[in-house]
Amino acid sequence: MTNISFEDIVINFGFASKEEKKKVLNDNPSKKVYMDLTCYDPAEFYAEFPQLKGSFAALFCDEDKKIEIHFKEKLEVVTEKLKELGFTLIETSIISCGFIFPRTIVQIINEAYFALEEGVASQEDINRAMKFGVNYPKGPFEWSAGREVYVKTLLNELFQKTQDQRYRASNLIKD
Amino acid sequence: MKVEKIVVIGAGTMGSGIAQWFTQQFCSVELVDNSTDQLSKAINSIHTSWDKLVEKGKLTQEDVHKMKSLLKAGKLGSVNKDADLVIEAIIENLEIKKNLFRDLDNYFSDHTILSSNTSSFPIELMADAVKVSRRSRFLGLHFFNPATIMKLVEVIKGKDSDHKLCEDLYRWFDEMGKKPAMCKDSPGFIVNRVARNFYGEPLRIVEEDDESKMKEVDRVLKEVGGFKMGPFELMDLIGIDINYSVTCSVWEAYHKEPRFAPHKLQKQMVDEKRLGRKTKHGFYKYD
Repeated sequence: MTNISFEDIVINFGFASKEEKKKVLNDNPSKKVYMDLTCYDPAEFYAEFPQLKGSFAALFCDEDKKIEIHFKEKLEVVTEKLKELGFTLIETSIISCGFIFPRTIVQIINEAYFALEEGVASQEDINRAMKFGVNYPKGPFEWSAGREVYVKTLLNELFQKTQDQRYRASNLIKD
Repeated sequence: MKVEKIVVIGAGTMGSGIAQWFTQQFCSVELVDNSTDQLSKAINSIHTSWDKLVEKGKLTQEDVHKMKSLLKAGKLGSVNKDADLVIEAIIENLEIKKNLFRDLDNYFSDHTILSSNTSSFPIELMADAVKVSRRSRFLGLHFFNPATIMKLVEVIKGKDSDHKLCEDLYRWFDEMGKKPAMCKDSPGFIVNRVARNFYGEPLRIVEEDDESKMKEVDRVLKEVGGFKMGPFELMDLIGIDINYSVTCSVWEAYHKEPRFAPHKLQKQMVDEKRLGRKTKHGFYKYD
């Protein structure tokens, strides 16, 4: 997790536990904070921390660095700083646990892991099937490579929030 | 592996696409359907498609001339009994398929491979209809529409399918330019199972019938995720009823596992006959 501070603004990047994310906000009560909350529910953070002025989901972004971002208070210095860092901002007004892309993609990844766990097909064949059967830009395991901890954290968060069994993680993710 | 003589049963969209693809590999193909009208429509449409490909410079006149001679319309009872591979692509009705496979089993040579293009029924249930001695040469070959363009073929190993035969077919498809994926005989196989949440999760993100939210979800998944179509516009294209029916079929097959549960909005739309582009009203309205 890293923070970039300038003027009265803090932009927080990277993965951390919910407690660590909240500590950043507690440590900066009088700043305007913009935070990567890919694995959590921005609504919970907005309700608790008025200094949180925007949230974004950068943990699943690719080389093109397109990120989903929600602003409670949109400041040009913030958008300029993020653009300077190479990000393309895709604004959204929908506040959802795990945003839109991460939430959808972790569910696709989770199902791919369930299929793997049940011996339905190999990782390679599942990736190939989704790319060449329904034109996905990447296979589920290509999306999750190196991001397993984010997948697991977001699924756990969705499960905690909803208590819905549809967010139960495959054993291969739990392990 | 020798895959030269093909029989495709069913001259609907999938069957004719499959027949066209095999012919384009210079296999000898017999396309079979109960309806003579449907058959001639399918053959004409394939010929027209080839002629257009010649105009675009994607096929040569010589190739098309040869392909037209390799593709024949047939009736069960008059097709080559010695075919290497038979692909069934008829209506998704288990009893009708089982009856057909019983007839195919009696008709074709012992070495003929029988396969189904089903997207919803377990291969095992259809294999029950054929003699025990045929079951090692019985498997699923699930093509995607349009079969001449979509590269994936799911090669589905039934309980008794010969492992080496499946691997040989996998390699053959690979050599012919398809992208095969080997999978176990399980509900939804790979794609119809793993893709369910591309629809189910966005429905839960928007939760209600709100067109502006759906537009936003479609936009974000295309711009951030790189998907060619958003889930709502894709469901409208597929047909809300078709998508709902596949969802229910996978959900039922997995004993109502919550990960596959349909969303209430899907049922509501089917009840209201808001079926997508084909009714000019789905998640979006069309003029």
